[in-house]
Amino acid sequence: MTLDEVRARMRAAGVEIPEDRLELVRRLLTDALGPIRALDARAAKALEPAVRFDAAAPRDVDGG
Amino acid sequence: MADEELAYATLGELGARFRRRELSPVELVRAQLARIEALDPSLRAFVTLTADQALADARAAEAALRRGAAGPLTGVPVAYKDLYATRGVRTTAGSALLADWVPDHDATCVARLARAGVVVLGKLITHEFAFGIQFPGHRFPPARNPWNLDHIPGGSSSGSGAALAAGLVAGSLGSDTGGSIRGPAALCGIVGLKPTYGRTSRAGVVTLSWTLDHTGPMARTVEDVALLLGALAGHDPADPASSRAPVADYTAGLGQPIRGLRIGVPRDYFHDGLDAEVARAFDEALAALRGLGAVVEGVEIPHIWDSWAFMAIMLAEAFAYHERDLRERPGLYGEVLREKMLAGALITASEYVQAQRLRARLADAMAAVLRRVDVLATPTTPAPAPTFATVLDPGFPFARSNMAPFNMSGLPALALPCGFSARGLPLSLQLAGRPFDEATVLRVGRAYEQATDWHRRRPPLTP
Repeated sequence: MTLDEVRARMRAAGVEIPEDRLELVRRLLTDALGPIRALDARAAKALEPAVRFDAAAPRDVDGG
Repeated sequence: MADEELAYATLGELGARFRRRELSPVELVRAQLARIEALDPSLRAFVTLTADQALADARAAEAALRRGAAGPLTGVPVAYKDLYATRGVRTTAGSALLADWVPDHDATCVARLARAGVVVLGKLITHEFAFGIQFPGHRFPPARNPWNLDHIPGGSSSGSGAALAAGLVAGSLGSDTGGSIRGPAALCGIVGLKPTYGRTSRAGVVTLSWTLDHTGPMARTVEDVALLLGALAGHDPADPASSRAPVADYTAGLGQPIRGLRIGVPRDYFHDGLDAEVARAFDEALAALRGLGAVVEGVEIPHIWDSWAFMAIMLAEAFAYHERDLRERPGLYGEVLREKMLAGALITASEYVQAQRLRARLADAMAAVLRRVDVLATPTTPAPAPTFATVLDPGFPFARSNMAPFNMSGLPALALPCGFSARGLPLSLQLAGRPFDEATVLRVGRAYEQATDWHRRRPPLTP
């Protein structure tokens, strides 16, 4: 990921990060997204996300 | 028993002495409060001391002992990571944002230990919102490592690790999103267990990342961790991720031999960039396990390098949780934490979903390996504790973690001492097992612990 791509993502997300911190963020995102970019999503069509919705699960919508 | 021996007594030893009337919980609390007063100004493990509550808890424990109504944890002194809500006691999450928050409820884990009769000494500092270490100028200073005050105690359950290593408390609660129980356990030379996802409740614990957050016990021995887990485990309707899987007796199998148990050693990923001293201590630990009759064999975990997608999940979920405060009150976050959390806003929805797909594949691969072996063994951290000067450099990278794969998979994982570096810093062994099979992980850990004396060493503390 390039610094320009980081800046473009910041604009899209509506967040501001000081210019002198962008390299830290760039490295963090490069590490985090490396395996995702390596995934061939077409070759893994049957693979479902780990998060599953449970209609019967109890939940506290207020987060308490 | 001398004060120092008392401070490092195990939960089991304390309980036995209480029941024999050789020691009273009130006497112990007074000794612990004096020890905290002497040592904590340099360690900074406590963010809030609840001396009056502790004495009241201790008197209640004495009454229970007199009635013959005491359990194994009655009267033992503990303190909680300041991420756990405690009714009537401020809960800061190590943050300026929550510096004055006083919850009106207890986290489920806190309530369960209260029912077990523990004595609560206070709240222990956590890295800011369990993610960002406190930089100079922050509202709360960071805890320091009792083995060497220039080194970090690990995080984010930093105060819990420091307080246990210094003999300020006998047990604690941590939380673990990418290693925050096991990391401080490793760097402080104590024992920490991240149970299976869903085994212990997250209700009332400030969220970092819903799908990766775990709660769990920290103590100085494997048996003590098992005792605490026994009180904590079980379904909680207040936690949507809580499991209804049966709860085992975690202490029952601790003394059983491990002859014939199969221990898998995945070296790919887990040994990448490993410090030489850590590698040597780990190999010696494997030799000790072989000596106990375990069958130690190399294993490969397919897709293990996808573990790093953990960061995409954590960043995106942390941003979702904090978005409103980050946008409206950014000045109440530490600078480095704020920028890490804002990085979560830069992850697209598709990337988050792909990370969760990779996670599902990795969890399946790990489960398949654990059908061939009973537990996995790895070094907990690739190096001993770094100095504050190292990690407070704003450019210090978020290091690849040997612990995050077990948050991704949800598998139970235990960190326990396995040696010391030449500079006297603790080294740690990580043992992980099948879902909800904490009992086998603890059994192997206990067998190793009994064959070594690392857990009996104490840091060189002076007031």
